[in-house]
Amino acid sequence: MKRFVYINDDSCRYSYCGNRISNTKYTLWNFLPKNLWEQFRRFMNQYFLLIACLQLWSCITPVSPATTWGPLIIIFIVSASKEAWDDYNRYLSDKKANERKIWLVKDGIHRQIKAQEIHVGDVVWLHENDEIPCDLVLIGTSDPQGICYVETAALDGETDLKTRIIPTISANLSVEQLGKVKGVVECPNPDNDIRRFDANMRLFLPIIDNEKCPLTINNTLLQSCYLRYTEWACGVAVYTGNETKSGMSRGAAEPKLTAADAIIDKLTIAIFMFQIVVVLVLGYFGNAWKYTQGLKQWYLMYPVEGEAPWYDFSIILLRFELLCSIMIPISIKVTLDLAKGVYAKFIDWDEQMFDWETNTPAHSANTAISEDLGQVEYILSDKTGTLTENKMILKRCCISGTLYGNDNGDALNDVRLVNAISSNDPDVIKFLLVMALCNTVVPIKSNDDTVSYKAQSQDEEALVNAAANLNMMLISKDSSTAEICFNGSKFRYELLDILEFTSDRKRMSVVVKEGQIGKILLLSKGADEALLPRACPGQQIQKYLEAVEMYSQLGLRTLCLGWRDLKESEYKEWSKNFQEASCSLDNREFKIAEVCHSLERDLHILGVTAVEDRLQDGVPETIKLLRNAGINVWMLTGDKQNTAIQIGLLCNLITSEPNSQLLSISGKTEEVILRSLERALLIMKNTSETKDLAFVLDGWALEIILKHSKESFTRLAMLSKTAICCRMTPLQKAQLVAILKSAGYLTLAIGDGGNDVRMIQEANIGVGISGREGLQAARAADYSIGKFKFLKRLILIHGRYSYNRTAFISQYSFYKSLLICFIQILFAFLSGLSGTSLFNSISLMAYNVFYTSLPVMTIIFDKDISETTVMQYPQILLHSQAGRLLNPTTFCGWFGCSLYHALVVFFITICAYSDEKSEMQELSMVALSGCIWLQAFVVTMDTNSFTYPQILLIWGNFVAFYMINLILSAIPSLQLYTIMFHLCSQPSYWISMALTVAVGMGPVVAFRYFKNLYQPSAINILQQIEQSNGSIQASGNLESARANLTNLLTGSRKNRDCYYHPLLSDSAESARTY
Amino acid sequence: MPPPLSLLRPHDVSSGSLAVALYALLHHFPRTFPPPPPASPSGHSKASLMDPLEMQDDSKKSNKPKYSKFTQQELPACKPLLTPAIVISTFLLVGILFVPIGLASLSASQEIVELVHRYDTNCVPLADKVGFIQDTKTDKSCTRTLTVPKHMKNPIQIYYQIGDFYQNHRRYVKSRSDKQLRYKDAAHLTKDCEPEVYGADGAPIVPCGLVAWSLFNDTYTISVNKKAIEVNKKDIAWQSDKNKKFGSDVYPRNFQNGNLIGGAKLNESIPLSEQEDLIVWMRTAALPTFRKLYGRIETDIMENDQLTVVIQNNYNTYSFGGSKALVLSTTSWIGGKNNFIGVAYLTVGGFCLFLALFFVVLYMIKPRTLGDPSFLSWNRCTLDYPN
Repeated sequence: MKRFVYINDDSCRYSYCGNRISNTKYTLWNFLPKNLWEQFRRFMNQYFLLIACLQLWSCITPVSPATTWGPLIIIFIVSASKEAWDDYNRYLSDKKANERKIWLVKDGIHRQIKAQEIHVGDVVWLHENDEIPCDLVLIGTSDPQGICYVETAALDGETDLKTRIIPTISANLSVEQLGKVKGVVECPNPDNDIRRFDANMRLFLPIIDNEKCPLTINNTLLQSCYLRYTEWACGVAVYTGNETKSGMSRGAAEPKLTAADAIIDKLTIAIFMFQIVVVLVLGYFGNAWKYTQGLKQWYLMYPVEGEAPWYDFSIILLRFELLCSIMIPISIKVTLDLAKGVYAKFIDWDEQMFDWETNTPAHSANTAISEDLGQVEYILSDKTGTLTENKMILKRCCISGTLYGNDNGDALNDVRLVNAISSNDPDVIKFLLVMALCNTVVPIKSNDDTVSYKAQSQDEEALVNAAANLNMMLISKDSSTAEICFNGSKFRYELLDILEFTSDRKRMSVVVKEGQIGKILLLSKGADEALLPRACPGQQIQKYLEAVEMYSQLGLRTLCLGWRDLKESEYKEWSKNFQEASCSLDNREFKIAEVCHSLERDLHILGVTAVEDRLQDGVPETIKLLRNAGINVWMLTGDKQNTAIQIGLLCNLITSEPNSQLLSISGKTEEVILRSLERALLIMKNTSETKDLAFVLDGWALEIILKHSKESFTRLAMLSKTAICCRMTPLQKAQLVAILKSAGYLTLAIGDGGNDVRMIQEANIGVGISGREGLQAARAADYSIGKFKFLKRLILIHGRYSYNRTAFISQYSFYKSLLICFIQILFAFLSGLSGTSLFNSISLMAYNVFYTSLPVMTIIFDKDISETTVMQYPQILLHSQAGRLLNPTTFCGWFGCSLYHALVVFFITICAYSDEKSEMQELSMVALSGCIWLQAFVVTMDTNSFTYPQILLIWGNFVAFYMINLILSAIPSLQLYTIMFHLCSQPSYWISMALTVAVGMGPVVAFRYFKNLYQPSAINILQQIEQSNGSIQASGNLESARANLTNLLTGSRKNRDCYYHPLLSDSAESARTY
Repeated sequence: MPPPLSLLRPHDVSSGSLAVALYALLHHFPRTFPPPPPASPSGHSKASLMDPLEMQDDSKKSNKPKYSKFTQQELPACKPLLTPAIVISTFLLVGILFVPIGLASLSASQEIVELVHRYDTNCVPLADKVGFIQDTKTDKSCTRTLTVPKHMKNPIQIYYQIGDFYQNHRRYVKSRSDKQLRYKDAAHLTKDCEPEVYGADGAPIVPCGLVAWSLFNDTYTISVNKKAIEVNKKDIAWQSDKNKKFGSDVYPRNFQNGNLIGGAKLNESIPLSEQEDLIVWMRTAALPTFRKLYGRIETDIMENDQLTVVIQNNYNTYSFGGSKALVLSTTSWIGGKNNFIGVAYLTVGGFCLFLALFFVVLYMIKPRTLGDPSFLSWNRCTLDYPN
């Protein structure tokens, strides 16, 4: 399917959608039905709706329908307004984008219109720094070469500038002609592939040219990119609105469900089953009672002729169903949502996760999954920009055999190098010149005459910056000349040719002509294996090989620099060949490579540069801590294996030989790869736990493994705590996440660039580093943090606390609902199994909504052990990881507790309030007070640390219970009238309450105490340690531990400087070629 | 004191609005708590160190979250642990408190003189009890003589006790109209009164419903040592019910004139608010065995006095096998005679003392150091990883 876009032609402009962007989920009209539909897709909501509907049938309802409708409507309104608010914000941002002013050219006239009014075929005129409103085919720019620069960060997350070029067919159009141009663009139907645009174009005006001109992605300007450093550019709109490439790749992310949520859902279903059993049993006995006893009770006046038996039977059944419906807490969703909202806010507010450098606080975009953070089992991390700073700096270099920067680790401040420059050492000058000139960096002059550089490759930028720091400053550059400022004097160089970098050649060169002398130079840089073999015969390259080896062991990225004088004649001849090759139609790339090859020979090797991609602050400590916490950390990178392994060593991901072993899975053919996989699996299985095993594989191996033996790989993945996967494509990263996820692990993916987005979205938790590579990852992620090191706080502090708190809140919600429900069931046996509710409607509703919801919310302030202790004993995370606090066993504990408490409350109530005191309203209020007293003590028992909001809420709620009921007791029309006054004036009421608490809590306290002392859990022990040691010693320990760690790190680094453990013990097949 | 609005930061409002409200509230809460423990070394101190640096940048507007103890979850907290000292002393304290209270309750309960006389079996012929009770023509008076075991101080409460009567049955408990009882014009509000709604003439019954219809109608005439004494039937109902729940201008109408006669009839010339027996009856009991106040005797009755009670045994508990009893009881601060509280308190108190002792002994036999890191699972080499 193709689409034909007629440029500047009104006749077809309305056949495609306009440029109105809409990311909203709802419209004003479909909001209510659609939102209702969404909400009632949840099992719980359906259940409550059913209950609420049943309650409208007055024949069976034990209490007023308001008890369910009220909370249900509140829940609905809360979630609906949240949705509406989010959608409204989306609408606002869409509106802003849609109403942006855009210049349009039509018949030579420039007009300003709103972005949403652009149609396919319009010619859009953009100025510098404009955001591109829709997908355009570039037809003209201010640059005489037809080049413009775009920043594509919003699209693919890459922050460097991309060059876009106009198609040859429109190269000769003048500005006036551009305004009137007519033609047709034949392009595929909209898709979401931002790397592909296979189209062609024909222009009708001003010249009838029937030749089709092919278009590629390089001729396009895509929506949401920015035009940079180009005065103006204009293009034809081909895709508009939601049909643009970026619009098509936007997808609504599926809402994520946490592991805790899944357990809560399972528990809910279990309770639901239990409820059905209870209802069936009660219903059966209820009917039995009715026919054996009930008909004899003349005062009940049962009709002599009953209705159909099935009707009768189901009536009592349904009554019990309604009576027991409170077993599933209606408030749990709202309570949890609120709590999760607060957890998310705590993350946003956390000052210790604020990144000073980039001025970014941590942010949780997804407020629903905080507790999953506390259960993370696998972390899959990107390397560049996530573990490293993605800020390349030249750290060392080797110039004609002299190693600079070895002493202080910083070549730029090496006195010898500075001296060599000031003494005009020719080799050093040449070296700097290559650094400054042999690249594709674009210098940008800002208003105050400082120069900054925009580069496609961070390495090049590092080299140019280093050269500038060493007084060799590239100050301007256009397509033909470059200007260099050295020691204050300017030199012009004519750029004759650029021999581009390709991944096959692994090198690039430029041919320049010195401005004054007219000497022609070939400047080359490239990988050692690509450049050193091309050194001129006789030059000693051994020292360079050694330097490269040493640098790469330090985890530095190396490049060799070389140069050669060209004779005028030689260049002329070559230039001719080069032109020819460039113009050849078939096999062009190969031919160009051949020609370049012929020039890049007999190089005079100048030296080696070593660029450091520095590890982010605190990365090794963080990884060590996370691994101690039982989290397996994998590194997935697009980078080379060597660099990846070195970075892995530096950041504690893998340790050197005796303690760990690195298994390489690689090979040239499929069989070799699969065999090495099997071998790795075998070794992995047979090695003791204490030895750290890690495996390394690259993208190609992964592809083959996934095709042929996914199962063995999954088994390997489950066994391996560490893995380094290099040369990964974004898709492969996501595949790895999916494999771990399908094995039932909770995965966290962390990355910073556009290539990590898929993995971030695939993982249970996606964390984005809002760093140098743009915000795309951060935008797609559930959490965004400024630095990798904040991950430990995110997981160990926020995740763990959130999990603990959610575990309590959810189970407590069931506890309190079960408590009151059990009392109702027990009462059923005293009321002839007729389904009378002991509690009145107001009490029931308030019990769920106020009396028990507020105290439980206090747990969001609770900390079982202090942050310092958690950091000191990260192993404690195992508790939440294994789900020790929320699982069927713990739930059974809560279930038993609520049953016990219900028995206590019920029997104390009916014994203390028997005979003349057994008035219905009073008895019900006594039972309710018993529940309130007990729940306050239960919350207190399970609170580990009391802060004033907690004390305030728990006991304030308690007081509020009495206040509310005293007020209700003053309203004559209520059943409650005067009841509370009666009760509060009776000593026996207070005595019963104290008894209830003592009997209810005594065994709990005794049991806890016993367990705490004689079978303590790790948390108990840590609490005790905290208590006995005090915080001072604890922090002291931490300080010394930190010092230790730093020593270790620096020490090991020093060690590695002089002596290197070959890490790849299994390296028979490892592709380490130097 | 409502927090000023400026405290609510607009960008916070989206999801955690409650949190924000809490935040605002807590910010304004007076700090009455003791000073916080020293903050963690990496925490606030670092922030304050770097603050000046941040100041210069302030023109660029820092995104740094505002520091407060609440947002950083650093509110001062106390962390009580279940240490032996705390637990043992708690149990000790509870035991020491509960035993005397239990003794006091028990003695109060024991001092109450209670006379329970079940008469339903004795006041009917053995054969065809139901037929007897349902026959409106026969004389159902029945004289019972009781001996008072102990001196009874006035006021002596007279209760009737019915067993196995489900006043809490769903069908029964709902069958009333509170509006009708209260307001003169609400006679037609009989929605809930099924199945006892309309009289023979089709007009609504006042008071309608099963509860009123089944009003207890046994009567007692009591004489001490052959001398009739007055039973005060005034003020046996709650004052609040008389004032607010039952209308002083609502008169019974159509009551008990249908085919089926349930219980007592009402004098149609007395307003509902004065029909205290009805008011007492309408306070439905939550348990199937219950006592309701019949009246009071305001003279003392001496030990070994002979009580003669003439019972009009009208009320039918025979068809469902329920019991009826007459109860005379004195009162005390604890209410009626009920040993439960006293016994329960003594048991719990004793048990707490026992537990305290047990824990002490246990602690002496098997002392444990609290917070011994060697007990940590990962320090014992048995790494308990999940799965």
